[in-house]
Amino acid sequence: MKKVAVLIKDPEQQYEGLRSSLGMMLYNTWVQMFIVDKEIAHMDEAYQDNMEFLDEMEGERFSNNKTNVEKYGFKYASIEEIGEMLREADLVIPF
Amino acid sequence: MKILYILRTRPDGTVEKFMQTVTNGDRSQVAKLYEEQIDWSKLVDDIFEHDKVISWW
Amino acid sequence: MADKLGILVSSNKHIDYVISLTTAATQKGKEVELFFTGKGVLLTQSPGFKKLVGKAKMTLCDVSFRALGLEGDVPGLGFKDFATQAKNADLIEESDRYVVL
Repeated sequence: MKKVAVLIKDPEQQYEGLRSSLGMMLYNTWVQMFIVDKEIAHMDEAYQDNMEFLDEMEGERFSNNKTNVEKYGFKYASIEEIGEMLREADLVIPF
Repeated sequence: MKILYILRTRPDGTVEKFMQTVTNGDRSQVAKLYEEQIDWSKLVDDIFEHDKVISWW
Repeated sequence: MADKLGILVSSNKHIDYVISLTTAATQKGKEVELFFTGKGVLLTQSPGFKKLVGKAKMTLCDVSFRALGLEGDVPGLGFKDFATQAKNADLIEESDRYVVL
């Protein structure tokens, strides 16, 4: 199973990055999703549902933005810590 | 490990930090697609000659 | 068997990169497969898109295609090439190298 890091920096791509993460997880790929710098821009019901689905499937989600950690349950990771996880990933997909 | 970084746009400070951390003493090379005069044939060779390829934004 | 290059196209900003890399890779005997997703599907409407036909196998995310208000045929793609994100997972698994443009 390949280990893929989905790295989301553009707020407009936050939903697409999550959707793509879920899609890969459904088909035998281990995904770590990272929201870099920005707060989740549109935390609507669809985003919340998909985020919970990612959690249920044991995907991991991290952010260096403390609001994402405190309000939305992301695990905190600094830029350096995210970089270390990217190093361990087989593939990095930026959004 | 040999790492190839592909930059579609000029990197910001975050991308610079990521590249430093990911490289961590390994050999790395950067392909800047936003600059003119890209040798696409060489880029294909580089993609297959490196162990890991990361495309940034 | 030729080395396989998988290209995920998630942006609509770089059709020139997609064409140049695909062309160079096929000229070097590499097998190229492209999956268009998110805003990347907008490139199917670009005049330059036809330059990819015949060079690479191409599929796209049908959800993205419809969500962005697109419809109709796309040059070089058949009915089954309007796919799901499973195609991206396949591409990851099957490609010797995988890049994002």
